[in-house]
Amino acid sequence: MNLCAILLLLAFTTPSWGKDIEAFPDLNLNNPNELKEATRVLEEELQLAARTQTYLLIDLGGSTIHIKGRGIDLHQIPIITWSSGSREGLKGIHRLIARPPVVRRKIEPGAGVEQEPISLTDMPVDYVLLFNPSLRVTVVPSVASDSLLQSVVLLGKAGWRNVKDWTTRLITDRSSEPKSHLRLTLSADHAQSLAWSLVDGMALVIRRPTDK
Amino acid sequence: MGRLLLATSAVVLLLLLVVSTPTPSRVPPENPQPAYQTAVQDKGGLRTLQARYKVLSKQLSQLMPNQPYILVDTARNRLYVKHQEQVVLNAIASTGSGTILDKPGEGNSQWVFDTPRGEFLVKSKLTNPTWIKPDWAFIEEGLAVPQNAADRAEQGVLGEYALGFGKGYFIHGTLYTRLLGKNVTHGCIRLNDNDLRGVYKLARVGTPIMIF
Repeated sequence: MNLCAILLLLAFTTPSWGKDIEAFPDLNLNNPNELKEATRVLEEELQLAARTQTYLLIDLGGSTIHIKGRGIDLHQIPIITWSSGSREGLKGIHRLIARPPVVRRKIEPGAGVEQEPISLTDMPVDYVLLFNPSLRVTVVPSVASDSLLQSVVLLGKAGWRNVKDWTTRLITDRSSEPKSHLRLTLSADHAQSLAWSLVDGMALVIRRPTDK
Repeated sequence: MGRLLLATSAVVLLLLLVVSTPTPSRVPPENPQPAYQTAVQDKGGLRTLQARYKVLSKQLSQLMPNQPYILVDTARNRLYVKHQEQVVLNAIASTGSGTILDKPGEGNSQWVFDTPRGEFLVKSKLTNPTWIKPDWAFIEEGLAVPQNAADRAEQGVLGEYALGFGKGYFIHGTLYTRLLGKNVTHGCIRLNDNDLRGVYKLARVGTPIMIF
């Protein structure tokens, strides 16, 4: 009887670590290039997951942005399309220099009126994220929208940003620009959701796709 | 003449858009060798990579909490209690409003009413908590900050329970249940009475809280 009680106790008092989980379920274990990339990302992720912080994992092969903490997937954001410059610069742990700016409403003391909070809809849909070491991530909304007007506005914004980038590149020293660039197209809602979830100094690792 | 100018501008803008937008096609792999060439050449190397991947996956899974943990989505104002992949409790919450309030007499210093993001631990479990009103609560109402500590105590506004997770932040109840699901708090996480009771029962001191 006592032995049964001890066995039951042992069964319920499992150690404080979790069960084994496949880090990348889509991984082809017979493809050495995929394995090399996955192990590189895992080595970097382990450093981040050991700390009390949330971090980003952009899985370009799986077209998903993962917001993670302790290795747990807290939230996933699908990527519609992406493009990049040199993929070598996407390796390593990058830190977000600053999250996208948000217009915060100021409370008027004693106003006695319910103050309007910020919400997801206050977040930008297209923005540029600068990381350290040098990496520039451009988030643009998908123009596959039901509203023609919205599509025109989004296209106009993207065009204006490109004009600005182009002129900036013409008049400034190009060597000071980030060498690595990643462009992500997300739905407008998901772009806002990502902007909301970012924190200054947030770490980022990127899993690059390999040839199949 | 005006129409011609407008049309020319539109064409120039479109051309700039097309020229300066990175091509959506993905960059070809940097390593042009056939995918499985390495594997064919070196099966031992593949096995080593597979073993390394398994070890790293296991190490990552060991960092995940095996005990129940609290997950808070501040964008959608939801609180979950999860045990591994299973959702044990799913509640509508209210989290930080993101508004700001000037600190009187402190120049440009401000309070920012965000719910902090990252990983925290339940540090205290209180029953019938008393709210010790901080300075901002008086300033927001246009009142003078009391000198006497006893004048800061307020009973019954935090519900039956409160779970502290550091720096004055709590998961607690609310009188304003109609505001659940909205970003209205000064950084704390509000729940209705039933959900608060459930979280209080499931969590213990040391339970992880993941907030994103």
